[in-house]
Parts: sequence; C-alpha cells; structure tokens
Amino acid sequence: MLLPHPVTVFEAAEKLVVNGELQEHLLVSLQRAGTGLVLGVVIGVVLAVFSGISGWGEVLVDANIQILRALPTLALVPLAIVWFGIGESAKIILVTLAVLTPVYLNVHAAIRGTDSRYLDLASTLGLSRAQIIRRIILPGALPGFFTGLRFSVTIAWLALVASEQINASSGIGYLMTQARSISATDVIMVGLIIYGILGLLSDTLVRFLERKALTWRSTLGN
Amino acid sequence: MALHAGKLNREAAVPAVQVSGLSRAFAGRDVLRNIDLHIQPGEFVALLGRSGSGKSTILRILAGLDTDYQGRIRAPALPSVAFQDARLLPWATVLDNVTLGLRDGKSKDRAQELLAEVGLADRGSAWPKTLSGGEAQRVAFARALVRSPELLLMDEPFGALDALTRIRMHRLVRRLCDHYQPAVLLVTHDVDEGLLLADRVIVLENGRFIEDFEVELPRENRGRNPRFQELRSRLLTALGVEDDH
Repeated sequence: MLLPHPVTVFEAAEKLVVNGELQEHLLVSLQRAGTGLVLGVVIGVVLAVFSGISGWGEVLVDANIQILRALPTLALVPLAIVWFGIGESAKIILVTLAVLTPVYLNVHAAIRGTDSRYLDLASTLGLSRAQIIRRIILPGALPGFFTGLRFSVTIAWLALVASEQINASSGIGYLMTQARSISATDVIMVGLIIYGILGLLSDTLVRFLERKALTWRSTLGN
Repeated sequence: MALHAGKLNREAAVPAVQVSGLSRAFAGRDVLRNIDLHIQPGEFVALLGRSGSGKSTILRILAGLDTDYQGRIRAPALPSVAFQDARLLPWATVLDNVTLGLRDGKSKDRAQELLAEVGLADRGSAWPKTLSGGEAQRVAFARALVRSPELLLMDEPFGALDALTRIRMHRLVRRLCDHYQPAVLLVTHDVDEGLLLADRVIVLENGRFIEDFEVELPRENRGRNPRFQELRSRLLTALGVEDDH
C-alpha cells in the first residue's frame, strides 16, 4: 500500500501515544533542535556583529561563513559521525551549523545596511562605540534578525531529520527509520505529520515574537 | 569681517565659535574658500545660500561630521545638531530619543521637562512613527536642547514642514533659544526665515561670504517692519533672485 488510510494513521498515532513512545522520541527531537537552534543563533549573531562592525571581523569571518553556507548539511553527516560519534553532540552540532548561516547572513546584511544618518546623529551626540552598538546597530538589525530566525527554525528541523535518520537511536527521525524497515507506512505518516506541525508551530512562535519585539514598526498589517 | 561691530557688548565675550581660514574642496572643486566666522555666545546666526553653495558643509564641519578641511576652528566639542529630517531612532520611544544625548541618572526628568516645553509632555511613550512631521521635529529640538548646548546647529530644520507648522515652529525655536541661549547657526535657503529668526544674517556664495549684517529690527512683528522688505530685497539680490513681490 502506497499510503495508509487516515484512520490507520490515527490509530498508529494513538498507539504510539498510549505506550509513550511518541512523547519520548518527540522530547528528544525537541531538545536536539532547540539546543542546536539556540547555539546556532547565538553564534550567528555574535559572528555577524563582529564581522559587521569591524573590517578585521569581515576578513576573518565572512569568507568562512560563505564556505560553510555552500556545504549541504547532509554532506557533513559522515564527518560528524566520525568526529563526534553517534552521541547527542553530533546531531546538535549539525543543527547548529545549519541554522548559523541564515541568521548570520541576515544580521550581517542588516548591520552593514545601518542608516549612516543615524551614525552621524550618534557622532554628534557623542555616543561611545558600545552605546552605538547597543542603541543603534543592534535594534536596527532586529528586523533582519527575525527574517534570519524564521529561516533558521525551518532549517533546524531539516537538519535534525537528516541526522536522525542516518545516525540515531532515538527521536522522530529514528522512529520513522525503524518504521521504514518494517514498511509501517502508518508510522512514517505519523512522523511526517509531526514534522509538519512542529514546523508550523515554530514559525508561528517566531512570528509572534517578531510582532512583540518590533511594535515600533508601523507595517502594512496594522 | 568687521561688518558686524558688536552692538550688545559682545565684543568683550569669548566667541562661542571661531573659524578662520576655513577651506574645503570636494574632488578638486572649492566649496569653501578661506572663510572666517565668529559667533558670539547666545548669538543667532542665519546662514543663507543657494543649493550647493556649501552652507551645509560649514555646518557638518562645525558638527564634527566632516574633518577633511583646512583652516582653524575653535568650537564647543559636542554641539547639538537639528537635521532637516527629525532623525529620531524609530525603535526608541520619544522619551528615550530625548535622553539619548544625556547620561546622568536624572536624565528622564530632564527629558520630560524638555518634552513639556515643546508641548509633547504626554507623548513620551509614543513611537516616533506615530508622530506627525512637526511633532517629530519638536522631539528633535527637545533632544538637541536637553543638555543645554553652547552651540546649536540647525540644517534646514523646517524644510520638510508644511507652511502652517513652519510658522508655529519658528516661534517655538525662537522661544527655546531665548530660554537656553545657545549660540545658533541656522542653515537655510529661506530668506524670510533667516530675517525673522536671526540676530545676524550671512550669505554664502561661491565659497565666500558676500553678505554679513546684523538684523537691527525689533524682534516683535518683524515681518511687518518696512525695513524688513528692504533687507529681504538685499538678500534676494545677493542670492541672484529678482524680488518682484
């Protein structure tokens, strides 16, 4: 059978919930994606600020990030397994590397695009470098940050699926791989639906945060 | 230039701004040629000139935004600047925009005082994007004056406002300057504006000052003073415009 009946899928999900397997694997996946995302976003922002405000930072950081961006996450899986084994760190690092680039690129572009009129203003007000970063550059880059974050959240799940299906003994990806080996299409469908729901929920959460953080923008929406 | 003999005992004071031999060229083109300019403490000077005459260049140099000049300048290290656009940070509230130029603990109270003075006491928590053009410019004046500057530089701050708002803003700025007494350099292309507001008017043309005189008219109802038209014609002629009104 190519696709199971929706009722069969629902029953499979019910069974997985009742015996606790689904929650267990979901929690593991959430932890991996969450940890990797937080690490990747923090590192991405720090690198973007460093390379955005200093010529040296640009030289040191930017080309390396462009190389990283050109590498597909899947291509890094074999190396991650060799370096970090099949433990948690390999999966978290893959997510981190994958989410780092969209945050970096968008924050970096936003910082480089800082309106020079505001920098003139800062100079006439006698603001220190730290104050310029805190009061002008970072808040000005916030819209760019959220654009990057929305990409990153989606990519976090992609990277997680990739690493869990190849190299894991727990998580939603692992659950689906196991199901594949016994052709349990109903469980595979459950996994796909879970990924879809996670993607939607995380994007909704980011958009909610974006609205809260950017109330100062008068947009077409309001 | 000795055209403006100090009438108000200003001769004795140390000038707030002393510029001598100021020259500035852009890509080989001389924009300012060996300019001398003194502004006394509390003196309101309007600098008139056509577009591209270099009047904004003088202001940027005094503001410390352009350091690629020749000549000697003695001016307060951190003059306040009011730009043509209000230049409020859109992500900071009105009150935070005003406190931007201050660092001490009492700054919130002080900023609130200034907002009250420009008639925006109740808009402190508003976002700049919700203000009208005139309100935004009033916030910019509050930010410029909150630290009681020795020197206030204004670069066509009324240029983007509608005619009615502009009249109200002229009165507000005159009142604020009377209160805080900074030395003022107002860059404008509006002859009437210069004559209405300033103690002294200078015309910049071809990199040099071609007019520099004190506006010896009583402050009240200047626009209706018969001599106003005389001075207006004189300035318009200097700016290369025939006055046929």
